[in-house]
Amino acid sequence: MARGLKREHAAAWLLLGPSSVALTLLFVLPIGLMLVTSLTDPRVSLAHYQRIFTVPLYTHVMLNTFVTSLIVTALCLVLGYPVAYVMARRSDWVSTALLTIVAMSFWTGFLVRTYAWLVILGSKGPVVATYQALGLGGPAPKLLFTSFASTLGMTHILLPYMILALFAVMKKIEPEHLKAAASLGARPLAAFGEVFLPLSLPGVVNGSLLVFVSCLGFFVTPILLGTPRDMMISQLINQQIEELLAWGFASAVAVVLLVATGLILAVYNRFAGLDRLWG
Amino acid sequence: MRRRTFLKGAAAAAAAAGPLIVTERSIAQTRTIFVNTWGGSWTAAEEAAFFKPFTDATGVRVRTVAPVSYAKLKAQVQSGSYEWDVTAVTQADLLRADREGLVEPVDWSIVKKDKLFPNAVYANGLAYCALGTNLAYRKDKFPQGGPKTWADFWDVKKFSGNRSMLNNAVRAAQFALVADGVPPDKVFPMDVDRAFKKLDQIKPHIKVWWTQGNQSQQLLRDGEVDMMVMWNARASELAQQGHPVELVWHGATITTTMWGIAKGAPNRKAAWEFVQFAVQPKPQADFANRLYYGPTNPEAFKFVSTEVARQLPTYPENSKVAIKPDTVWEAEHTARIQERFTQWLAA
Repeated sequence: MARGLKREHAAAWLLLGPSSVALTLLFVLPIGLMLVTSLTDPRVSLAHYQRIFTVPLYTHVMLNTFVTSLIVTALCLVLGYPVAYVMARRSDWVSTALLTIVAMSFWTGFLVRTYAWLVILGSKGPVVATYQALGLGGPAPKLLFTSFASTLGMTHILLPYMILALFAVMKKIEPEHLKAAASLGARPLAAFGEVFLPLSLPGVVNGSLLVFVSCLGFFVTPILLGTPRDMMISQLINQQIEELLAWGFASAVAVVLLVATGLILAVYNRFAGLDRLWG
Repeated sequence: MRRRTFLKGAAAAAAAAGPLIVTERSIAQTRTIFVNTWGGSWTAAEEAAFFKPFTDATGVRVRTVAPVSYAKLKAQVQSGSYEWDVTAVTQADLLRADREGLVEPVDWSIVKKDKLFPNAVYANGLAYCALGTNLAYRKDKFPQGGPKTWADFWDVKKFSGNRSMLNNAVRAAQFALVADGVPPDKVFPMDVDRAFKKLDQIKPHIKVWWTQGNQSQQLLRDGEVDMMVMWNARASELAQQGHPVELVWHGATITTTMWGIAKGAPNRKAAWEFVQFAVQPKPQADFANRLYYGPTNPEAFKFVSTEVARQLPTYPENSKVAIKPDTVWEAEHTARIQERFTQWLAA
């Protein structure tokens, strides 16, 4: 009996082998190397980390990256939840049409979508034209090259991820649960709040984490649509790597980003129970 | 040492992951060279002016890898795994790379001094072409005459309109100094504090700080801005397409792009043959006729019409009024100014 169990374990380890090797080679080692580089390039010291936390630029960019990611995540959730709800609850052409639209958006290159916003929000674009046609007076408000445009662009690009993550979970919620709630006297709103919403929370967590983490690494969209004030951390890392060849410093910034992300996930796990919600 | 061993291991793993590339390279041997290039119209002009004629003359094939990555130069040399042999970088970047030991020394058994023009060699690279970073504006927005100097660009009362600048610390500081009255040939060594004081004045009027060449063209073409900092050939391209774009040479920065060969690159012998070929008058002229970046070889102007020559950065009338760059100063101060500039932009 005991031997059988052991054998089972051995088989499990064997099966885990290839993926462990792949993860170690592609994930653990590069990150370890990055950590080493941050402490040794060009010489062994903590100077890079000291610089990150003493030069205001870097703390500003770091903070901006997290705040922007939070805002984009919240916007995606608020906008995506109703869409995913309709997609999951209906099984007719409306659901198919919505899924098609979301998937098409998902598969359109983000650069294309970013440039589309340049046209839409531009001074010769439809938004400004509508504003002028309505004769609202004064010059049209500046839309492009603002934090607003940058946030809008990122939200648009990440929204499909949120919707699909929510949809995947919502689709599995049995309609019978809501019918049961109704038969027990719950009004639609109460049934939603007491039954559907809690059951959809894993989707909310999955989608939010997916969007939040993707947003942390955003790069081109804020450059093209936003202002230098909206600089995200990956722009900074790119500048240090590509233009200045300062790999030690770039690694240190990346390590701080990684640690901060890990901390946020840990806090989230502690209070929201990541593991419980995941399955 | 351990790190290097590790890097080699990682490189081997990477090589194992991409057997296609490796096989192709090992079959081609030294009869193919790999050139790092910008892509788009830049690569198309290179193809016609350099690559095809070089292959016709020598039989050596040229493959391109886009876009240009300065960081990959370092990554290749550190890992010993090469994606390309030749790259095109600015003089200041090449100088920094040369000091870090990232580029091959000139192979004088292949490169012949008597085949080169004066000052062709710098920091172990060969001068490829000259690129102007100019003031450009839309003529239709200024019927009374547009800005003629950086001081005009800074004069938001006399020349109202939306503005855009290149998101590059050293360039922005140079233009600010000229706007503040420093003669273009006296910009270096730069008074950085004075430059930032002057930049403070224009900052609220800059609608966008652009980073990519096609982005700059979009801004001026769509009328998003009326005057801006722009690379000269990008502006000329717009004018050729019929957009009312005018280019100012006074106070423009002229930087030289260099051919450099990655240290230890497998096809370095053929690569030196190639760069020597590419700086000869005829290929240089062919490139300049297609893309209006200036030939570094003065002899090339023999093959360029006056009409085109007048739009090139190395045309004497243009380079005379431009900022004289100090590459050594730039290479040493770029990192510090860039940090200050990025902080200034984000504030």
